[in-house]
Amino acid sequence: MSSKNLTLPIERRETTGTTGAQALRREGKVPGVLYGHGTEPLHLAFELRAFDDVMHHGGRSNVITLMMNGKKADTALIREITRNPVSRQIQHVDLQRVSEHEAVHAKIRLVTTGVARGVKEFGGVMDVLVHEIDVEGPVDELPDHVEIDVTELGIHQHCSASDVKLPKGFKLLTAPDTIVVSVEASKTAQHLEEAASGAGAEQTAPEVIGAKPEA
Amino acid sequence: MLTPKRVKWRKVQRGRMTGRALRGSTLTFGEFGLQALEPCWMTNRQIEAARIAMTRHIKRGGKVWIKVFPDKPVTKKPAEVRMGAGKGNPEFWVAVVRPGRVLFELAGVEASVAKEALRLAAAKLPIGTKIVSREEASA
Repeated sequence: MSSKNLTLPIERRETTGTTGAQALRREGKVPGVLYGHGTEPLHLAFELRAFDDVMHHGGRSNVITLMMNGKKADTALIREITRNPVSRQIQHVDLQRVSEHEAVHAKIRLVTTGVARGVKEFGGVMDVLVHEIDVEGPVDELPDHVEIDVTELGIHQHCSASDVKLPKGFKLLTAPDTIVVSVEASKTAQHLEEAASGAGAEQTAPEVIGAKPEA
Repeated sequence: MLTPKRVKWRKVQRGRMTGRALRGSTLTFGEFGLQALEPCWMTNRQIEAARIAMTRHIKRGGKVWIKVFPDKPVTKKPAEVRMGAGKGNPEFWVAVVRPGRVLFELAGVEASVAKEALRLAAAKLPIGTKIVSREEASA
């Protein structure tokens, strides 16, 4: 739950665009934007090390106090972190202005607990179809993740989004009938290979759309 | 092997492989994945070999997703044929892979089994890859 006092020193960013952002990254800073509450978006930058520290202490689901020139500037929630897909380095951060007890929409990580009966006793495969659920609730109570117990799931059974127990004061925004976890019968490697070899044994030329049939 | 069922054109131009993957660079289905670190034309044979290596290792259980599809025909001229006289015949199919692309995903097996399966699959591919997990992606 959100009770940590996280602070992040920020500075106003005058340069925008690729060149300015790359220059900031070379200095060990991260460009970001702060928006929300109907005011103008604020382009800002902060030290990568300070941001890593905030993330390490649960910044993903906690309200962060933004400090500018040693004074409290705003409170915000991390909305999106853009990373380089290969190096995983943080490239940009979106922050949303939030007040202390404001209700916000958020995506919360879904974590399964226990081993499904269908997996344990019948050798089935558990498939987590939804990894995050959409909720609405007070920003200061936002959990890091929600748990769903899958121990009672047999083969061909599933859990829906409505089965997820949310903390008090939170409302589910994901469609309640959305299947989040299911347990299916396992296919052996041999089955898969037979199916694959049967389907693609003869490699024929594909049909050309709109081609005139040969006379 | 993976091949398209219907195509608009029998032969296509070669194109470029510059830049990095703009889409398909995150884990969407599974818990573990194999991410490309270099660009390449990945043939349907290579994809199939990697898939077989993975499914053989995990034996029973688990689920595999192949996240690239070889939809580009590659043509070749026959041996000892002079240049000119038109483009060669389509010989095989490739998927254009750029750095960052998640090639395969795995779920429903233990971390150690998944990592070993992906390592074996990586050995069948022509490029450098790395194993990514949902845990480290969300950290």
